[in-house]
Amino acid sequence: MKLSPSAAWTVALLALAGCSQSPEPPMTTLAPKSDLADWIYRLFLEVTAWDALIFAIVIVAFILAVFVFSTRVGEAAPPAAPSSDLALEIAWTAGPALVLLMISIPTVRTIFRSQPPNPPANALEIKVTAHQWWWEFEYPGGLKTANELHIPLGRPIRLHLESADIIHSFWVPELGGKRDVVPGQINELTFVATVPGMYPGQCAEFCGLSHANMRMRVFVDSPDDFAKWNNAQIAAPAAPAANDQLAAYGAKIFVDSPCTACHTIDGVSKGYIGPNLTHFGSRTTLAAGLLQNNPMNVAHWISDPEEIKPGANMPALLLPGHKLDALTAYLESLK
Amino acid sequence: MSEQAGTQAAHEQARHPGTATYLIIAAFLVVLTAMEITVFYVHALRPVLVPLLLILAAAKFALVAMFYMHLKYDDWLLSGIFVFPLIIAAVLLTSLVLLFAYLSHHLAPIA
Amino acid sequence: MAAHPKSIPNTQPSYLEGGGLAGWLATADHKRIAVLYGASALVFMAVGGMEAMLIRAQLWQPDNNLVSAATFNMLFTMHGTTMVFLVVMPLLLGFFGNFMIPLQIGARDVAFPRLNALSFWLAIAAAIVLHLGWIRGGLPNAGWFGYANLTELYYSPDLAIDWWVLGLLISGTSTVLTGLNFLTTIVTMRAPGMTYLRMPMFIWALMVTSILILIAFPPLTVGLIFLLMDRFFGTHFYVATAGATPILWQHLFWLFGHPEVYIMALPAFGIISEIIPAFSRKPLFGYPMMAYSIALIAFLSYGVWGHHMFATGMGPVADSAFAITSMLIAIPTGVKIFSWIATIWGGSLRMTVAFYFALGMILEFTIGGLSGIMHASAPVDLQQTDSYFVVAHFHYVLFGGVMFTILGAFYYWWPKITGRMLDERLGKIQFWLTVIGFNGTFFPMHFLGMWGMPRRIYTYGADMGWTTLNQFETLSAFVLGFSFLIFYFNIARSLIWGERAPADPWDGRGLEWSVPSPPPVYNFAKIPAIRGRDAWWIIKYGRAGSRGIAAYVSGRPPAMPEAEPLDVSGIHMPAQSYFPIVLALGIVLAALGLIIEWYRIIAMGVLVAIVSVIGMGFEYPGYGKEVHDPEHAPSAGEVDVRKVGVWSFIGSECVFFASLISTFIVYKSRSIGAPGPEILEIPLTSVSTFILLMSSLLMVLALAATQRGDARWQKIWLGGTIAFGMIFLAGQVYEFTHFYDEGMGLSTNLFSQSFYTMVGFHGAHVAIGVIWLSALMAAALMGRLDSSRALSVELAGLYWHFVDVVWIVIFTLVYLMQTVKGG
Repeated sequence: MKLSPSAAWTVALLALAGCSQSPEPPMTTLAPKSDLADWIYRLFLEVTAWDALIFAIVIVAFILAVFVFSTRVGEAAPPAAPSSDLALEIAWTAGPALVLLMISIPTVRTIFRSQPPNPPANALEIKVTAHQWWWEFEYPGGLKTANELHIPLGRPIRLHLESADIIHSFWVPELGGKRDVVPGQINELTFVATVPGMYPGQCAEFCGLSHANMRMRVFVDSPDDFAKWNNAQIAAPAAPAANDQLAAYGAKIFVDSPCTACHTIDGVSKGYIGPNLTHFGSRTTLAAGLLQNNPMNVAHWISDPEEIKPGANMPALLLPGHKLDALTAYLESLK
Repeated sequence: MSEQAGTQAAHEQARHPGTATYLIIAAFLVVLTAMEITVFYVHALRPVLVPLLLILAAAKFALVAMFYMHLKYDDWLLSGIFVFPLIIAAVLLTSLVLLFAYLSHHLAPIA
Repeated sequence: MAAHPKSIPNTQPSYLEGGGLAGWLATADHKRIAVLYGASALVFMAVGGMEAMLIRAQLWQPDNNLVSAATFNMLFTMHGTTMVFLVVMPLLLGFFGNFMIPLQIGARDVAFPRLNALSFWLAIAAAIVLHLGWIRGGLPNAGWFGYANLTELYYSPDLAIDWWVLGLLISGTSTVLTGLNFLTTIVTMRAPGMTYLRMPMFIWALMVTSILILIAFPPLTVGLIFLLMDRFFGTHFYVATAGATPILWQHLFWLFGHPEVYIMALPAFGIISEIIPAFSRKPLFGYPMMAYSIALIAFLSYGVWGHHMFATGMGPVADSAFAITSMLIAIPTGVKIFSWIATIWGGSLRMTVAFYFALGMILEFTIGGLSGIMHASAPVDLQQTDSYFVVAHFHYVLFGGVMFTILGAFYYWWPKITGRMLDERLGKIQFWLTVIGFNGTFFPMHFLGMWGMPRRIYTYGADMGWTTLNQFETLSAFVLGFSFLIFYFNIARSLIWGERAPADPWDGRGLEWSVPSPPPVYNFAKIPAIRGRDAWWIIKYGRAGSRGIAAYVSGRPPAMPEAEPLDVSGIHMPAQSYFPIVLALGIVLAALGLIIEWYRIIAMGVLVAIVSVIGMGFEYPGYGKEVHDPEHAPSAGEVDVRKVGVWSFIGSECVFFASLISTFIVYKSRSIGAPGPEILEIPLTSVSTFILLMSSLLMVLALAATQRGDARWQKIWLGGTIAFGMIFLAGQVYEFTHFYDEGMGLSTNLFSQSFYTMVGFHGAHVAIGVIWLSALMAAALMGRLDSSRALSVELAGLYWHFVDVVWIVIFTLVYLMQTVKGG
C-alpha cells in the first residue's frame, strides 16, 4: 500500500536528476535480484516515503513562515507571535517519534530476518576470502575459483567471509547489502538469488592503493547450468589440444616460470598467493573484474600488472613476444 | 589575590570535614579492601565473586570521591562534571565488553 | 546600515591595535587568539577545497589518470582530515567560540587565557605535522578514519601514517584543552544575573559541545596510542594473527567519531539559533526545549557510534540497539528545525546574507537529516554505507548544515570582529552560487550511491552508468569552488575598503552588540547586569521583546542606556606569554627530528616542550585565573575556576581509563599462550593498594594542615604522601621487572601488551602526581604554602585521589577478577 506512491516518488526523483542513463545501471541497488536485496529495497522505499512526508511538511512550513506569515523589516509590524507553544512543541516531538516507531519496527524485523544464526536447510555454503585486491571463492569439496562466483538460482546461499590481509567489504548491490570482510573474524551473508543473470560487485571498504580495482562478478545460473559449470570446474584442466602447439609451448613456459610460485593449476603447480588458474579460460574477466578476458588483455596484464592495478603483488613478467603469445594461448586454453 | 583566596580558603575550611572524618573513612577503606581480598581467596564465594567485588569497589570509589575529594561538600556542579563522564565511562566499558563477547563466537581460525 | 546610535562611544583603542608582531605571537587575549584561529582556518579551507577540486577532476571521466591512485588516496584522506580538524572545528570553536564566549556571557576573557593560546599553537603544530609528509613519507593516505589494520606498519610502511597519528594526537590535546577552557569559562564566568536559562543559545551549544569534547576525545587518544605502539614498539593491538581485532579501532574511533559530528553540528545549531532571531526580530521560539534538545542530542550521540559499523557484523541485537538509538536522535533534531521555522513565523524579516545562509541551512540540513534516518535503518544502511550515498549524506550535514552556518556566521559577526562590513551584494551572489554548486555537486551523489558507486575509488569503469552524473558533479563542484573565491574576495575587499561597522549593525539581541566594533581589549568597561534572555535587547527596548519590534517599526528611538564616563584603568588583562608558541615549536622540532631520524633533535624538541610546560606553571604566581577583575571576584560559595578546570580534566580521564580497561578485559580473553592473568600476584598488589589508599589519607591530612596553617604537619603529611606514592611506584617497577624476567615482554601477547599499557599509564599518572606534590613540597619548604594557598594543595589532592580511585577500579577488575572471562 505504501510502496506504490513511494516508488513513484523515487522514479520522479530519478527523472528530476535529469539523467539520460538507462534505468538500471549494472550495480544498482534499486533492482533487487535476491530475497535479501528485495527486503532491503522495500524497507528503503518505506523509509523514503516517510522521509518525503516529513520533507514536505518542513518545506510547506518553511514557505509559509518565510513568504506568507511574516513581514519584511520596515513594513507594518506583524501581529505579535508567541515565543513558545506547548501543544505545538509536544506535537512536533511526538509526531516524529511516531514516524520513527513506524520505521523502527520493520527495521528490526528485517535485521533479524536477514541475519539467520544458522545456514538455512540445503544451503550452498561458500567460503569467500578477500585479498588485496582480489576475491577467492571456495566451494564445498575444495573447488577454488577467483573473482567470478557462480551460484544456483533459488537455492539458499551462505557466504562465509574471511580476509587474508586487511578489512574489505563484499558488495554485490543487486544481490543484497554489503558485509565487511574482517581479518580474524568470519562474517556471514545469506540470501536466495531470484533472477538469473550476471551481477557485478566491488570491494566497498577502502583497502589501500588499488581499492578501486577490486571488482568481481556473480553469475546466477539455473540449477542445470550451475551443475554443468560445477562439473566442468571440478574436472582436471584441459591439456592443450594436440594440434595447438602454441598452447603446448605455453604450458612449458608456465611450468618453468615464476608464475608457479603463486598460482595453482591443478596437476601443474601449487602456488596459493595468487588466484587459482585451473579453469582460467572459462572466466569472462581477469585481474579481479578489471579487464575482459581476451588474449590481448591477458598479454597486457602479464607484461605490466602495475599499470593496470597499482600496487598489485604480481611482478611484471618480461617475456619476448612469441613466448608471451604462447603463455597467453595456454592460459586461454584452460577452459 | 591572596586576600580573596584567604577568605575563600577559610570558607572552604569550614565546609570541609575534619581530621576525624578522614581517619574514619580511611578505616572503612582498609576494611573494605581487606574484605575484597578475603572474597578473592574464599573459594565458596566464587559464584558471587563479580557482584560482590563490584559492590565493594564501588563503595571504596564513592567514599574517596565523596569525602577525600569533597564532592559531598562542594558545589553540585563539580559532582555533575565528574559523574556524567563516569556514567559514560561505565556505559562504554559495558557495551564494549558485550559487543566483543558476541564477536568471540565468530572468530576465524588463526593461520 | 546603522540601525540606531551606538551606546558606547568608540574612543577606547580596539583589541586589534598595538603590540606589534610580538603582541600577536605571545597574545593571551581571546579575541586575538580567535583571529589567529580564523586566519589559519581560512588558509586550510583553501587547501582542503583545492584537494576536493582535484578529487572531482579525477572523477570527471571513467579510467581517468589525471592523478595516480596513490595521490588520490592522499587527497581524500587529507581533504577529510583537514576539513574536520583544521577548518570546521577551528572556525566554530577557535574562531567564533573564542571570540564570542566572553562577549556573549559578559566576561573579559576565558578562564585560562594562556591555555587558550597553547590550544591554538598546538593546533598549528598539529597542522604542520599532518603536512610533514610533503617532506618525507608522503601525506597520510588511509582515509580520515584510518581503519586498522590497513594503518599497521606491514600494510603502510611509510611515515605517512605516523604523521597522521602524531598530528591527530596533538590536535586532540589542543581540542581537549579548549573544551576544558570553554566549559570552565561558561560555568563560572557569566555576568551576574545570567542564569543557565538566560544564556544565548550559542553558549548553550558550546557548553554542551565542551562536555562532549571532554568525553569523546579520550577513546580516540587511546586508539591512536595503540596504533602508535603497534607501529613503533611492535605490539599487536590491531593484528588479527595475534588474536587481536581491527574492529577495536573502529569502536574506539567511532566512540569519538560520532560525537565529533555533533561537536561540529551543535555549535552550528547554536549559531543558527542566534542568526534567525536576530533577523526575524523575534525571540527564539521554544528556548527551553531548544536548550534541552541540545543536551539530549549530545547525550544520545554517545550511544549511536555503532551505526557506522552495521556492515562489520556486530550481530542482530547490537544492530537493532544502535538502529533505535540512532533514530531517537532524530527527535530532538526535528525539534530544532521546527523551532527555527516557528521563530521565523510571524517575524519581521530582514533579508541579509547571514539570514540567507541560515535559511539555506535549514533546508539543506533537513535533507541531510532525512538521509540520516535511512542510515539509521541498519538493513538500508548496508546498501548505502561506503557508497556515494553516504558521501552525499554527510556533506548535506557538514556542508549544508555546518558550512552554510559558518558562512552565515561570517556575514553576521564579521563586523563585530573586524569593525568592517562585508559586501551584502557580493554575499548574495556568493550565496546563490554556493546553493547551486553545493546541490549540484552533492545531490546526484545520492543516485550514484544507489547505483552502486563505492566511495574512495580513484577510477571506475565506463560500463557502470556513472559517467554523466560524475561530470555534472564535477562541473557543479567548480561552481562551488568559484563561490568561495567570491567569499575570499569579499573578505579581502572588506579589510581594505570595507565600510566601517557600527557597534550594533543588525539591531542585535546578544551582549556582543553592546560593545564597540571591534571591541576594546577588555570587552566591557563595566560588566553588565543581566535581567533576562536576549540581554542587550532588554537593555535597548525593555523587557518585552515583541514590544521592541513595535517601537522599532514606529520609528521611535529605543531607550538607550546612558553612556557614563568610564574608568578602565583598573582593569587588568592577562599578560602575554611566549611559552605556548615555544612549546608548539618544540613539538614541531621533535617531529622534524623524526624526519631526519636524528634522535638528538627529537630529544631537544621534547625537552623544549617540557621546559615550556614547567615555565608556564611558574610564570605567574597563582596560576589559573589571571583576569584580576574586581567586579568579578569569586564571591563566597562561587566555584573556583581552577577547581572546575581540574574536575573537567578528571572527567575526561575517566573515559580515557575506561577505554584502556575495556581493551584489557576484551583482550585478556582473546590472548594466546602464556602468560595470562594468573601471573598477577595478589599479595604484593594488595600491599601496593593499601599504600596508595593510605597516601590518599595523608593527602587529605596535608590539606587539613594547610588549611589550619600548620606548617610543620603540612610538610610531614605532604612528604608522607610523596613517599607512599614512590613506594607504590617502586612496587610497580618491581612487578614489571619480575614479569619481564618470567618472559612477559611488552609484545609477548595480547594480555601482556594491554596489561602493561593500562597499568603503565596509571603508573605514569602516579609519577606526574609525585612531581606535582614535590613542587608543592618545595613551595612548602620555602614557606610559600600558607593557608591562603590551600586551594593549590586541594587541586593536587583532587588529582591524587583520582589516581587512587582509578587504582581501586584496576585492582578489582584486573587483579581480583583475574579468573573471570571477559568479552
